[in-house]
Amino acid sequence: MTVGADLPLGTRDLFILKVIVFALVHGYAIAQRLQQVSRDVVQVPQGSLYPASHRIENRGFLAADWKQTETAREAKFYRFTRKGRRGLETEAARWQRLSEAVGLILGMAQGGIR
Amino acid sequence: MTWWQRLWWRRQLEEHLDKELRFHLDQHANDLISRGHDPKDARLQARLALGGPDQIKESCRDTHGIRWLEDLLKDVRYSYRVLVQSPSFTVTAVAAIALGIGANTAIFSVVNTVLLKPLPYPDADRIVQLEDTYSGVGSQTVGPKSLNLWRQQTTVFQDISAHWLDHMNLTSGSNKELLPAAVVTSGFFRLYGAPVLHGRTFTSDEDRPGAGHVVVLGYDIWTQRFAADPGIIDKTISLSDVPYVVVGILGPFDVEQFDQPPDVWVPFQIKPDINEKDSRLCFVTARLKPGVTIETAKAELQLADEAYRRAFPGIMRPKDGSTVLPLRDAMVGDIRLPLLVLAGAVAFVLLIACANVANLLLVRATGRRREIAIRAAMGAGRGRIIRQLLTESVALSLVGGALGLALGTAGIRAFLTLYPRTPLGPSPVNPINIPRIGEAGAAVTLDWRVLVFTVLVTVLTGVLFGVLPALQVSRADLNAPLKESGGRSGAGFGQTKTLSLLVISEITLAVILLIGGGLLIRTSIALRAVNPGFDSHSVLTMQMSLAGARFGQGSGADQLVRDSIRRIEALPGVESAASSCCLPLESVWQLPYIVAGRPLNGRFHGFAGWTFVSPGYFEVLRIPLLRGRTFTDQDKAAAPGAIIINETMARVGWPNSDPLNDRLLIGRTMGPEYEKDPVRQIVGIVGDVRDLSLNLKPRPAMYVPIAQVPDTVKALEFPLLPMAWMIRTHGKPQLLSSAISNELRLASGGLPVARMRSMEEVVAQSATRAQLNMVLMTVFGCEALLLAAIGIYGLMAYSVQQRMQEIGIRLALGAQPEDVKRMVFFKGMRLALIGIAIGIPVAFGLARVIASLLFGVTARDPLVFATVPAFLSATAVVAVWLPARRAGRIDPIEALRYQ
Repeated sequence: MTVGADLPLGTRDLFILKVIVFALVHGYAIAQRLQQVSRDVVQVPQGSLYPASHRIENRGFLAADWKQTETAREAKFYRFTRKGRRGLETEAARWQRLSEAVGLILGMAQGGIR
Repeated sequence: MTWWQRLWWRRQLEEHLDKELRFHLDQHANDLISRGHDPKDARLQARLALGGPDQIKESCRDTHGIRWLEDLLKDVRYSYRVLVQSPSFTVTAVAAIALGIGANTAIFSVVNTVLLKPLPYPDADRIVQLEDTYSGVGSQTVGPKSLNLWRQQTTVFQDISAHWLDHMNLTSGSNKELLPAAVVTSGFFRLYGAPVLHGRTFTSDEDRPGAGHVVVLGYDIWTQRFAADPGIIDKTISLSDVPYVVVGILGPFDVEQFDQPPDVWVPFQIKPDINEKDSRLCFVTARLKPGVTIETAKAELQLADEAYRRAFPGIMRPKDGSTVLPLRDAMVGDIRLPLLVLAGAVAFVLLIACANVANLLLVRATGRRREIAIRAAMGAGRGRIIRQLLTESVALSLVGGALGLALGTAGIRAFLTLYPRTPLGPSPVNPINIPRIGEAGAAVTLDWRVLVFTVLVTVLTGVLFGVLPALQVSRADLNAPLKESGGRSGAGFGQTKTLSLLVISEITLAVILLIGGGLLIRTSIALRAVNPGFDSHSVLTMQMSLAGARFGQGSGADQLVRDSIRRIEALPGVESAASSCCLPLESVWQLPYIVAGRPLNGRFHGFAGWTFVSPGYFEVLRIPLLRGRTFTDQDKAAAPGAIIINETMARVGWPNSDPLNDRLLIGRTMGPEYEKDPVRQIVGIVGDVRDLSLNLKPRPAMYVPIAQVPDTVKALEFPLLPMAWMIRTHGKPQLLSSAISNELRLASGGLPVARMRSMEEVVAQSATRAQLNMVLMTVFGCEALLLAAIGIYGLMAYSVQQRMQEIGIRLALGAQPEDVKRMVFFKGMRLALIGIAIGIPVAFGLARVIASLLFGVTARDPLVFATVPAFLSATAVVAVWLPARRAGRIDPIEALRYQ
C-alpha cells in the first residue's frame, strides 16, 4: 500500500462516502466517480478503494448487497447506513475545520512575508 | 458483521471479494472496449489501473480484523503436521509434559479441596472457631466455662454454638446399632444452615439441663431405618436405653465438623452459669456479625478474659485465655504446610520437564534452521516466526496437558482410594488423616478451579519451554543455513550454552527434590523405629459404646468387662484379652493430680494422662512393669484405691523420692463428678507408652482399675468414647475377629461392635501422614532424577553427534579414543557437578521449610546431604558415560564422511 500514501488517512474514506451518498453504487462506479470528481488531480489507484470501502463497511458506515447491474451481472452495491450518514456529517465537519485551520495557517505565513 | 461472524463466513467473504474484483476488471475492460480499445489491450489497462489483485485482497482481509485468528488456525494446522511428522519427538515431549502436569493437577486437586474450596455453609467466611489458649497454645476443645463466658461477655458473635460427636446405641426391635450422634446447642443448625425437612430443630430452652430428651434425625437414618415416614415426629425412640422424642428431621446435610457424619442430633444441655463445673468438652463455633473482623473479635475476647479474671481471681492463669480463628484455618490445621511443600515439589518436577522439552526443541530446531531461514527469506517477520514456533509448543503442551489432566485426576483418585491398604479392607473414613477430603478422598473432585489451574499451567508450560528455543532459532542468520549443504556445522556456541544452562538447572532442581525426599525417608524410617512402648503384634482391637444407665452405674461395666474377657479368653487361638477406656495413640484423657500430703502451691501438682483399664491390660499390650505390681482382680470397687503411673510421671513428679510411698487425688477441681474418686495408692510404675503420636515424647500417664471408677465419672465418659477391647492372639489376629465380636455381643446383650482393627494398624495410622509425605516426595524426587538423567544424557548424545566430524578429525590427527572419551565425559560431568554444587546450598536453605515435618533427623542431616549428591553423581556418570563411550568408538574415516 505505498500508492496513495500521500493522502492523509481518512481522506479517501471521505471521498468514498461522499460518492456513495448520492446513490447505490458498486466499487467500479466509485472508482470512476472518484476519478471524475477529483479531476485527475488526486491519483488514487483504483485498487486501494476496496480495502477502504471494506474498512468503512466493517465500521458499520456502509452496508452492501449483491444486485444485478443493467448489464445483468451480479455486483456488490454499497449503500449508506444510518450510522454512516451521521459519520459522514461529523467527518465532513472535521475536515472542514481542518482545512480552514490549514488555510488560516497558510494565510498567516503569507501575511508574515508581506 | 462482528469479527466472529466474519471468521465463520470467511470462505464466503473470500468468494465475494474475488467476485467484486473480477466485476471491476470486466466492467473496466468492457468500458474501454466500447470506447474502441483492443480487447487484449483493454484487459491489460484495466488490470494496470486496478493494481495487483492479490495485494488488494490481502489489504481487504486485513480490514476484517480476524487476521490473527486466521493465522492462528494456520499455525495450529501447521503445528499438527510438524508434530505428526516427528512422532518420536512428539511422544517424548508429550510424555514429559503429561507427567509434569499430571503431578501438578493431582496435588492441586487436593490443595483445592482442602485449602481453596469454600466451606459448604451460608456466609462460611464469617464462621469462626473459638478456642482456649494455654500459654499461647490453642486448644480446640473447651469446657462449659469458656462457652458460657463467650456467650455472656461478647457482642461480636452470633449463634455461638457448641458441638461434639458422641456415639449412641439405637434400639429398635431386636436390632441394635451404634450411631454417631451429634451433641449440639440450638444455634448450631442456624450457624451451619441445616436443611429442616420436617418438624423443628432445638429451641434455646432445650439447651438447658432437664429440658427433656429430644432428638433430630439425620436424613440417612430417617430413610433407612424409619422408611422416610414423616409420622415419626413426636414419636419416641430409644437411644442408649433412654427414650428420646423425635422433634425434627433434617434433609441431606453436608457438614464437615464431625469425624463421622452424624445420624442423630441431640441437644448439648448445660447450665448457663459462668462457673459451671460440668466436665464435658465441646468445640465452639460462631458467626462473626457483619463487618466484624477477626482482630476486633480477638480484642473483645481479651476483654472478656480480663473481666473473668477480675471476677473470679485465681482460676484462669494470666498467660491463658481465649482466641478466635477462621473456621477453615481451624479445620485445615497443620496439613497446610505439607500440602504446600508437595505443591512446590511438583512445580519443580514440571520445571524440570519444561527444561527437558526445551532441550528437545532446541536440539530439533537445529534441523529446522533451513526451514525457518526459507520462511524468513520469503518475508516472514521474526515476530511471525516466533509466534508460529510458540503456537507449536503450546499445542504440544495442550496435548500433554490434556493427558496430564486425565492422568492426574485418575492418579490421585486411585491413590486416595488405595492408600494405605489395610488387612481388614480400606480403613474407615479418611485413612491419610487429611481434613476435608471425605471418605477415601471422595471430596477430591475435578471442578472448575482444577480445570482453570490445569489450563493455565499448561499454556504457561508451553510458553515457558517454547520461548527460549523460539528466540534462539528465529535469531538465526538468514544466509548461513541456506548455504550449508547439510546440518553438519552443528549447534552454534550460543545454543550449546543454552542447552548446558538448562541441564544445569535440571540437576539443581533434582538435587533439591531428592534432598527433600531423603529427609522425609529418614523421618519415615525413624518413625518406624520408634518403640511405641507396647507390643502391637498379634493384637486385635475393637470398640463398643457403653453409653446408658445399664453400664454407667454400679458394677455393670465391671461385670461386662469381666464376662467378655472370660468369654473371649475361652476362644481357641486367643492368648489374653483386656479392655480400657481408650487406645494408645488415639485418644487420652488428661486430668490433674494432687499428691496427698505434699505442700500445694497452685491448685494441683500436675496434669497426666488418665486411662482406666481392666486387670490384664499391661500383660496384653506387653507394657513392661518396672516396679511394684500391676492390677489384679482384687482391685475391686470396695478395695483401697490403686493407681499405676508411668516412668515419665515418676521421674517428673518424684525426682528425689519413691512414688510407691505416695497417694494421689485425681481430678479434684475438675468438677463434682470427680469428687467421689478415692484417694489412690501408687502401686506400680510401668514403662512409657507413646500416647498422642509416634513423633511426640510420652507424657506423664496414670492408670486406674476399671472397677474403681466412680459412677459419676463413668456417666461422663462412656457417652464420649466407646470402650476399647484388645485381644492378643496366637497367629493372625484378623482371623478371630468375627468370633470375638460375636462373644462381645453375647456378653453385652447385643451391643454393636465397631472399628475392628489390628493394633499394628492403629500404630501405622499414627505414621500415615509422614509416610504419605515420604512416598509422594520420593516419587516426585525419582521423577525429577529420571528427567534430569535423560536431560544430561540427551545433551551429551546430541553434542557427540553434532561434533562427529570434529571428533573424526581429532582421531585422524592422532588423538587416542581414550582422550576423546575423557573429553566428552568430563564435559558432561562438569555440568552435573555445577548443578549439584548450586543445588546443595539451595536445598540447605529450603530444607528449613520442611523442618517441622521431620522427625528423628535434622533439616541439615549430613547423611542425606552427602548421599543425595553422591547418588545423583552416580546417575550422571551413567548418563554421561554412554555418549562418551560412543564418542570413543567413532571410526575416523566414517566420521569424516558423515553427512
